[in-house]
Amino acid sequence: MSELTSGVDLVPKARVETGPGGTSVIASVRGEIDLHNSPELRGVLLEWIAQHQPKRVILNLGQVPYMDSSAIAVMVEALQKIRKIPGRIFLTDLQPRVKGLLEIARLDSIFVVCADEADALSRN
Amino acid sequence: MTSEPDQISAVRRALESLCCDEGLGDQIACEIGLCVNEALANVIRHAYGKAPGKPILISAVCDANSIEVKIRDWGNGVNPTKLPEKPYDPLEPGGLGLICLKRCMNDVRFEPQADGMLLVMKRIKTSAERAPAPAAGGSCCEAPRAGDQRSGR
Repeated sequence: MSELTSGVDLVPKARVETGPGGTSVIASVRGEIDLHNSPELRGVLLEWIAQHQPKRVILNLGQVPYMDSSAIAVMVEALQKIRKIPGRIFLTDLQPRVKGLLEIARLDSIFVVCADEADALSRN
Repeated sequence: MTSEPDQISAVRRALESLCCDEGLGDQIACEIGLCVNEALANVIRHAYGKAPGKPILISAVCDANSIEVKIRDWGNGVNPTKLPEKPYDPLEPGGLGLICLKRCMNDVRFEPQADGMLLVMKRIKTSAERAPAPAAGGSCCEAPRAGDQRSGR
């Protein structure tokens, strides 16, 4: 396991785990995400995907009380990138407002939504 | 407010707080906040082409049964509902903000002005929403936050 740092408050660090199923990048995101700071999230996610070519990115959103469509756009772009590996994005610990927006965006069945990180790690 | 993205959250919270103070309920407060966020983001990105320092005027009239929010800009005056319509694809960028407005508001009108656009959004409280509901995680109806504003330009 190794640790990544980003210098970005929204997602300051992540850990990289490599197992039989490939590489996983696991990160906790914290804070509200909107047009102001979603570009920071974009930069970090795309960099980590490009560098580590993970089979899965697990984003713990338990400390994200709110996000808007610009955050959704960032996650969709990351999803498009990781699908080429091919890999998947797992979202865990969704708060109600974030879950609601994913449902409006009809993305709740496109991302893998899990109860928590352990649940995500247990998925094939 | 002006067209800097870092101003969106304060305006969103102010509108959420107004809804809560007026007894509109947590669900409406959260949805109004989302719509105001999306509308402001559209103004900044599309009407002003991300140019900073441009004026945006927000006003809200609220009563026990409804809230009407008006957002005025002096941008390019393009009415997004008049653009060629394409089916929403969740894996393609764009369009989600307008979907939020249409889904969460009872009435959404873009009224072209000689020098920009006026967006008028209205949400009416349903009978089910009139029943008080306990605030869950992600609630909008929390204690007022320091620095909240009700409107601004």
